[in-house]
Amino acid sequence: MLMNQIFIGLLVASAWLWPEWVRAQESSLRDMIDREIKAGWEKEKLATPGRSTDAVFLRRVYLDLVGMIPSYEETTTFLGDTDPQKREKLIDKLLADPRFARQQAQVFDLSMLTRSHKVVEGTVGYRNRGRFRQWLAKQFEANEPYDRIAAKILQAEEDGSQLYFAVYRDTDEMVTSVSRFFLATQIQCAKCHDHPFESWTQKDYHGMAGFFVRTMSVEVPGKPEITNQQGKQYLVGEKTVGEAMFSLEEIDPKTKKKITTPIKPKFLTGEELTEPEPPQDYVEPKLKANELPPKPAFSRREKFIDWMIAKDNPFFARAAANRVWAQFMGRGFVHPVDDFNASNTPSNPELLKTIETDLVSHKFDLKWLIREIVNSEAYQAADLGEVTDAMPMFYERARIRPLSVEELTSSLHIAMGLGIESALKTEPSSQMMQYLGEPSDGQGRFQGSLSEHLFLHNGDQFRGLCRPNRGNLPEKLLMGTESWDEKVERMFLSVLSRPATTEERERFVQYLSVDTTDAKDPKLAAQRMEDAMWVLVSGSEFRFNR
Amino acid sequence: MKGLLTTAGGLAVANWGALTHSQTIAAEAKRTGKRCIMLYMGGGVSQIDTFDMKPGRPTAGPFLPIQTNVAGIQVCEYLPKIARHADKLAIIRSMRTTSVDHGIGGYHMHTCYPSSQRFPHAEFGAMVAKYCENPENDLPSFVKIGSGSGIYGAGYLGPQFEPFVVADDGKLPGFANPSVSAEIQDRRGELLNFMEQRFAAQRPGDPFAAHRTSELRTLRLMRARTTFDVSAEWEKAKGRYGDSDFGRACYTAFKLVAAGVPFVEAAHGDYDGHNDNFPTHKANLQVLDPAWASLLQDLHEGGLLENTLVVWTSEFGRTPAINFQAGRDHFGRAWTIVLAGGGIKGGQHYGASNRDGFEVEENPVNEGDLFATMYTALGINPRVQHYLGARPIWATPDGSKPIKELLG
Repeated sequence: MLMNQIFIGLLVASAWLWPEWVRAQESSLRDMIDREIKAGWEKEKLATPGRSTDAVFLRRVYLDLVGMIPSYEETTTFLGDTDPQKREKLIDKLLADPRFARQQAQVFDLSMLTRSHKVVEGTVGYRNRGRFRQWLAKQFEANEPYDRIAAKILQAEEDGSQLYFAVYRDTDEMVTSVSRFFLATQIQCAKCHDHPFESWTQKDYHGMAGFFVRTMSVEVPGKPEITNQQGKQYLVGEKTVGEAMFSLEEIDPKTKKKITTPIKPKFLTGEELTEPEPPQDYVEPKLKANELPPKPAFSRREKFIDWMIAKDNPFFARAAANRVWAQFMGRGFVHPVDDFNASNTPSNPELLKTIETDLVSHKFDLKWLIREIVNSEAYQAADLGEVTDAMPMFYERARIRPLSVEELTSSLHIAMGLGIESALKTEPSSQMMQYLGEPSDGQGRFQGSLSEHLFLHNGDQFRGLCRPNRGNLPEKLLMGTESWDEKVERMFLSVLSRPATTEERERFVQYLSVDTTDAKDPKLAAQRMEDAMWVLVSGSEFRFNR
Repeated sequence: MKGLLTTAGGLAVANWGALTHSQTIAAEAKRTGKRCIMLYMGGGVSQIDTFDMKPGRPTAGPFLPIQTNVAGIQVCEYLPKIARHADKLAIIRSMRTTSVDHGIGGYHMHTCYPSSQRFPHAEFGAMVAKYCENPENDLPSFVKIGSGSGIYGAGYLGPQFEPFVVADDGKLPGFANPSVSAEIQDRRGELLNFMEQRFAAQRPGDPFAAHRTSELRTLRLMRARTTFDVSAEWEKAKGRYGDSDFGRACYTAFKLVAAGVPFVEAAHGDYDGHNDNFPTHKANLQVLDPAWASLLQDLHEGGLLENTLVVWTSEFGRTPAINFQAGRDHFGRAWTIVLAGGGIKGGQHYGASNRDGFEVEENPVNEGDLFATMYTALGINPRVQHYLGARPIWATPDGSKPIKELLG
């Protein structure tokens, strides 16, 4: 009876909505996002933000999806387009752009391995990290489902995927990192004591360690293009025996020491792993230096992966939904993204649940999820407003995020008219890495250092890009015969992806043209051109994505 | 002029309203006016060959003790100038510390936490910078002269408090020198100001403000950079400080502190005397003695010593037993650190090692206690709490206690 009613209802609906019906089905998540976010604003009595201007949206979505600002041509094409569907079309175009996979790989690499993992500094060099990024980019290019990507990272068998375990090479680091990144759960405190606020106990912690305690990584000589500075590459394997040990509170009456016992592998959901007994007389073969043991008949790590990516795993999809949301919206529903716990209330719990469920039903298709998020009005909200927080809790204004040093490098090349090829092949210099690589106070708040600004002021690489030379935009403008008004217009569209205001145009025209009338010294004109470019790329408007 | 701010140096620079949003203003309320200079003896200095001599014992080594201006305090014969300032020194002869290799020891003695925690602790200088800086000062708040003692960084306090590293002799790195003339800097600064003001009017976001604040601080540093250039006065001072990089570093530290920099660290020497410990130490001490003594003298005469804590420290001490290569090895069980100035009661020994110097005999001091004492002397709560994500972290480990006897 009930089924009949639904069936009739569907027929009626399809009769009404057809041919929009199919599209409505597809766009349901973005609509749900907007309904839920709006409901949040109403509940919190927050003013509704306006819609971003085309120029602000354009720059935002380019940086978020392809990791660099749009070129002059891309900007003028988009701003001049009168198609009401142009934002949606642009999103589709960027999601199909090869730069999307590259950008997505950079974001994941940085979240997973962090910018400078001090513990392995010197062993995991930039070249090697590049391998991991390339491997990730291949996954995103093929739109590999996220559960598969996660499984492959933990299997660590594909060439380039092993770097995760090369960085988190001891069991404690693996437990901490895997639970934080893939499960958004922090159990590391329970290593030494039962968690003070959460239900995690030391047994939970050491239970999880049981899945990774047999993992080992070795360095072997490798082909030059895939090795670190010492000519080594990483391989990850697993032993057949080995247990996580845990010291009980009980004291051994004989030795007067705490009793230490092996603890069975235990999933975060509480159940213990059932595993076949290893043969009683099994002895791990003696390994030579840098040799991996034979593949075990029973792999604990494999069992962990099966559990982790199972459809009904309560942690995995939730963690992914929250992380991808935060990547584009600034703040996760739960913030920080990797810390779900009883006292960390999600800002929009219903929406989180919906995204989580839909992500599973869409077979962990990240591109689908990203398309839905960036098509939402919430993502496309204005950057204006009184809120000072970089990441407003209820998304009542667009988030403000500093450009990563990779994005900054690429964007500088685009801004100076050097083209996408040049932007793609130039990696940040070691100085840029050092001075602009980690502009955060450790809690995600932006802090620029003195060195960052000294570098912007006086660093040769930075100045070299702003100075008129070798067919770059500053040189073209300097040589060009257009009016100063036109030149300033092109400059703003190229660097800030927007037209200049009247006031700005006047001020810049005045600045640039002042010396050319009374002194015909080309050096003076070139200096003024460099100054103008320097100002545009040094200001807040260029430093941040908003 | 609209939108301009006059700095402590009297120079007008653009103010984009950033400072009113800045968190440093909030910290300013807690400002103590205290300063600190840390003299760091790289490699591990020998306590027995400096301030905890064991005359007549098998562990003594060849150096002889001399009297100081305080009865009962003796120092090494190669520290004759420091001997005249013993009334200012609090000599802790009972350091008992746990990290006895250079990397981990350096980390431990800069942060008071073991490096094995793999947690981005802030080094002492960053913490002093945070709590003692004057945000209106044009100079950086944490200066490291030379990188010989290691860069451990601001950790959870963030890039704003990262050390500003200059060369061993105190000279600025090349990129602190403006790439364009002052005139060009000024006029393009005005153009940047024009753009920032318009942008900020509708967007009061914290990151934008932080960006503008750093830009302002950088402009101010570039204007005040002559403070780092002591060349002219050094000609006169080098006779007293000793004509060495470390001498010049100490003199630069004095000038920087006088100009309002809250924390300066200068590293000295390679004390790692596993073999031929004595010639190495003798040479090092002869450089150290005039530099350190003149620093104390200048701070004293300039009326700055009362508010300036001078710390003489190292990653660990050296073994009392002399090895077969006439060397001393790494040793943390009983060694010496010397404090002077700001908030410290001078002219005293604190704690003692036993007869041959192998163990602490009274009042053992660990890393946390030492740091708690130094923080307290500088008016900083040694248990001040910060967060990394949800995890709380304290300036000193649980149980650390400032040493009352040392605090004036």
